[in-house]
Amino acid sequence: MAELTKQDIGRFLARQGILVAFVVFMIAFALANPRFLAVDNIFGVIRSSAILGVMALGVTFVVIGGNLDLSVGSMMSFSTIVVLDLHDKLGPTLAIPAMFAMTLALGAFIGFLVGYLKLNSLIVTLGMLSAIHGLTLTYSGGKNMDIADKEGTWFAVIGQGSIAGIPVPILLFAGLAIVLSMMLGKTPFGRKVYAVGGNGTAATFSGVPRARVVFMTYMISAFCVATAGMMQASRSLGSQNTVGQGMELEVLAAVILGGASLLGGSGTIFKTVIGVLILGFIQNGLLLVGLEFYVQYVVTWVIIILAVWLDIAAKRGRLLSPIA
Amino acid sequence: MSLSTKIALAGTTALMTTAAAAETVTIGITQNNVGVDSYQTTYEKAFIAAADANANVETVVLDAGGDVARQIAQMEDLIQQEVDAIIIWPTNGEAVIPAVRKAHQAGIPVIVTNSNIAEQGFDFVASFSGPDNITQGRRSAEIMCDKFTAMGIENEAKVVHITGQPGYTTAIERAKGFNDRLPEVCPNVEQIDQQPGDWNREKSQQVMEAFLVKYDDIDGVYAGDDNMGVGALNAAKAAGREGIIFVGATNFAVGYEAMAAGEYWGSIYQSPVDDAKAALQTAIDVLDGKDVPFLNYFDTPKITQDNMDQYDKPVF
Repeated sequence: MAELTKQDIGRFLARQGILVAFVVFMIAFALANPRFLAVDNIFGVIRSSAILGVMALGVTFVVIGGNLDLSVGSMMSFSTIVVLDLHDKLGPTLAIPAMFAMTLALGAFIGFLVGYLKLNSLIVTLGMLSAIHGLTLTYSGGKNMDIADKEGTWFAVIGQGSIAGIPVPILLFAGLAIVLSMMLGKTPFGRKVYAVGGNGTAATFSGVPRARVVFMTYMISAFCVATAGMMQASRSLGSQNTVGQGMELEVLAAVILGGASLLGGSGTIFKTVIGVLILGFIQNGLLLVGLEFYVQYVVTWVIIILAVWLDIAAKRGRLLSPIA
Repeated sequence: MSLSTKIALAGTTALMTTAAAAETVTIGITQNNVGVDSYQTTYEKAFIAAADANANVETVVLDAGGDVARQIAQMEDLIQQEVDAIIIWPTNGEAVIPAVRKAHQAGIPVIVTNSNIAEQGFDFVASFSGPDNITQGRRSAEIMCDKFTAMGIENEAKVVHITGQPGYTTAIERAKGFNDRLPEVCPNVEQIDQQPGDWNREKSQQVMEAFLVKYDDIDGVYAGDDNMGVGALNAAKAAGREGIIFVGATNFAVGYEAMAAGEYWGSIYQSPVDDAKAALQTAIDVLDGKDVPFLNYFDTPKITQDNMDQYDKPVF
């Protein structure tokens, strides 16, 4: 009986290594600063992570499908600038769908190039990273975009409001995570994404419409980016053109930290959420501990490596393994 | 695409100017990264407008797009075109020095604008035209201290400090100016924390959120520019923390509006239009053989809720 229990724990650890790592860090930071676990702080961290998190949800689909999306950072800047600009021109009710349409058009373009023309996703999205940055700058003329009437718009609710005491960005993040998790885990489409990423050739011969599936993963990613842009715009009601710059790497780090394979075919939404939260709480925890900020860059890296190691060690069942 | 077009344009401009009257001077400028923020965008427009208004000046306007290698190539192009003077807004204070030296050796005076190059390159520079960031940091400290004194809390106030991007000269100089000056004017005010906001409103908001969790008692926030200052203000508003004195630098339109709304106390008024005009004028003065100081600062005055009506709202 006792042996069975031990086995069960081992199996649980093996499956949820990253979750264990997450709990370990939370305890360590809480010991260093008791305020770390204050409800306000936890809500604050999840709310700030929600924007990155929503983007990571979409990228999870792309990565599981065996591709990369490095354009999400500059695409998020684009969405943010566009929705802020249109807010004052059309009003928020029209600005939001118009911005979604424009962002989805970008996603469709990338999806077409990678899915139907079978171009290398790294090259396509790296190119789109700077192309969309240029598009954003052309659109705004390089100026910061600000909503004129900051007090009188309901648009602020999306990024700053709360429902039943829970900040709206957290609700959006959680809601989207649940919907996308079901889509990935419980629907035929979700299984096709795994199939295409796991072995594209086999999937094609099994009758999976590979091009369409890849196309759809980029549409989901663009939809998530548009949602993130809307949240970002609403949170500060103003933005510079570079607001999402560099986020593509943080997003990718969160997705990989969550355990999705860069080679495609594995990963889950739940684990990506954990990856996002780890990154968010590390940043916040280091601020609260009050380390010199040059040191923070290094410590962040060390913690990420530790998390990845714990994850792999749990899968192997031991900390050091003679085989990879 | 844009680079080759610009070089082609630059080529034609140079040809045209050789045919022009003898008194006309040609001034080339290679900028850091136009379009990355409103300041640089406004700067470029103001520079072109100022040059157009002067019949004796022809310009070759280039932009390095934030890329050091491209800026060095542009310096070499300008030397090839034998312009009369070169204005450079360095993408990197160290890496551009060899290119600046090359221009100097070719007999072309180089004027550095906005952010200076590193000291070992000073021998090759005719003049630096731009804001004095150390003075700006010092003035922000004075604004903060004066306000604390007016409130009667100059002996117990606690301040947090959000800096610009680590490693960026402007960020380092402003932080130094502030950190040196504050203890001189308000020796009992304590700075309890200092973290970077990377010139980014969202990042600054996150940093301020953590400060608010960590410290129950914050009386003042100094941010390296208004963009970050407004991010910190948003965090304080969201947390319902009132009575905090916010002081920034480089007054942005959002900072000006927050001052008008009574939420943000003060900043430093730095106009990209003045910056651009000063750079062009410095170049013209150097070419005219006038005696130009090596560090040719343009004035960046204090702006607070008390005197803001004397200043126009910034366009960026």
